[in-house]
Amino acid sequence: MLKKYLIISTTTDLVRIAPDKIVFISSDGNYCNLVQTDNETRMLTFQLGQVENMIREQLGTDGNLFIRIGRGLIINRNYIYYINIQSQKLILSDVSRFTHTVSASKEALKQLKDLIEKEAKE
Amino acid sequence: MKEINEIRDDEIRVIGEEKPPKPQGWKWLLLLLAGIIVGIIIWQMWPSELTSPVENPEQGVFEPSNEVVETTTVKMPLAKAEETGQGFVEIADTTINDIPMRLYIPHSVSMSLYVGNIDRNDQSIIFAAQAADIRADNGGIVGAFVLEGEPKAWGLSKKGYCAIINDTVTVGVADNSPLFEEATEKGGYFFRQFPLVDKGQLVENELKGKAVRRALCDRSGEIFTVETLSIESFHDFAQALVDLGVDNAIYLVGANAYGWATNVDGQRHEFGDPNTKTSKKWRNINYLVMRGKP
Repeated sequence: MLKKYLIISTTTDLVRIAPDKIVFISSDGNYCNLVQTDNETRMLTFQLGQVENMIREQLGTDGNLFIRIGRGLIINRNYIYYINIQSQKLILSDVSRFTHTVSASKEALKQLKDLIEKEAKE
Repeated sequence: MKEINEIRDDEIRVIGEEKPPKPQGWKWLLLLLAGIIVGIIIWQMWPSELTSPVENPEQGVFEPSNEVVETTTVKMPLAKAEETGQGFVEIADTTINDIPMRLYIPHSVSMSLYVGNIDRNDQSIIFAAQAADIRADNGGIVGAFVLEGEPKAWGLSKKGYCAIINDTVTVGVADNSPLFEEATEKGGYFFRQFPLVDKGQLVENELKGKAVRRALCDRSGEIFTVETLSIESFHDFAQALVDLGVDNAIYLVGANAYGWATNVDGQRHEFGDPNTKTSKKWRNINYLVMRGKP
C-alpha cells in the first residue's frame, strides 16, 4: 500500500510531507506554522481550519493521527510526551531528536489526557 | 477568510474520525420532508431578497468605463518564498485564457484599510491598492465600510465584501454579512465591491467595457490579489479567476488606480498611474494596505 502524504498546494508552490514527519501545526492569524520532525518550521499561507480540512480530505481516517486542540493547534498524537493541566503545558517529543513545548487551555488538556487514557484502555 | 471548522479553545477534536452514521429509513425521510417544508416557507416569506438582484447601484467614480489603458509588462522573477520572517509580496505572472495576469501573493503580512491620500513614502506599507469605490455624486464611500471598528458608510450597492477582523481576512459574496457588525465590535475593517467569484462560480456583473482589472481573491484560504496586464471585460476577468481556481473574489479598483507591492528583495513594484490627480472630493479614497507582521 502506498504511503499517504499530505500535500499543501498554493498558487506557486507545493509542500508534500508524510504525516508522521509533522510534529504540530500552530495558527498565526491567516497563516500556519508547520513544525517538522527535523526541527524545521514551514510557514503555510492557510488558516489552521483549512489545513485541518486538507488533513481530513487527503488522509481520511488516517487523519486521526492528528488532534485539533482549541483554535490554535493541531498536534500529531504520536508525539504527545507530557501533559500538565495545571501549568497548561503540553510537550511534544520523540524523546530523541526534538522536544517542543506548547500551551493549551486547561479544559482542552484535560480532554486530551482523558482521550489518551481512554484509548490506552481499549 | 473566515475561521472554518469552528472550535473553542477549551475543546479538542480528533481529525479524520469517521462521522456518525446518517439517520436511516423513516428518520431520513422525515428529515428530508421537514427540510423541504422549511425551504418552501422561507422561499415564500422572502422571495424578493432571495431572487432579485441589487437595484440601482450607486455610480462610483472609479468604476471602469470604456477607457483604454495601456500597460507595460514588466517581467519579474518569481520571488522565492524565503522564510525571512519579514513581510513581502511574491509577484508572479501567469496567463489564463490568453489573459496575462499578475499575482500579488502576500507573505507574513497584516492587512487593513486606510482612508485618505496614502503616504507613498511609507516604507512600512508592503502593498497598497484602492479598495472600495467612491460615489460620484457626494464623494462618499460606495457600500458599507468599517475602518478600525468605526462605520464610515452603510448600504448595499455591491454584494462582494471583504472583512478583516483580528488579522483574519474573509472575502465573500452576500447581501447581508454579520461580519460588518463583527468588524465594528472588534475594531476590524470591512468594505464592499463588485463580486466576481462566489464559491468557485462566476458572478455576472452588468458593467460593460474593458479596463485593467484587479481583484482580491481567496483560493483555498490563500489570500492574494490579481491584476490583468491587458484590458479585459468583467466577464472575461471573472472567468479567468474561476479557471485560476479561485473560490471567492471581489473587485478592487482597476484601470489607472495607483498602488504598489514590495517584493522579497525590498523592491517596490508600482501599478496604475502614479501621476493620477486626486480630486478634493475624493477625501474618502481608500486603500487595502498590507504591512509586515510585527
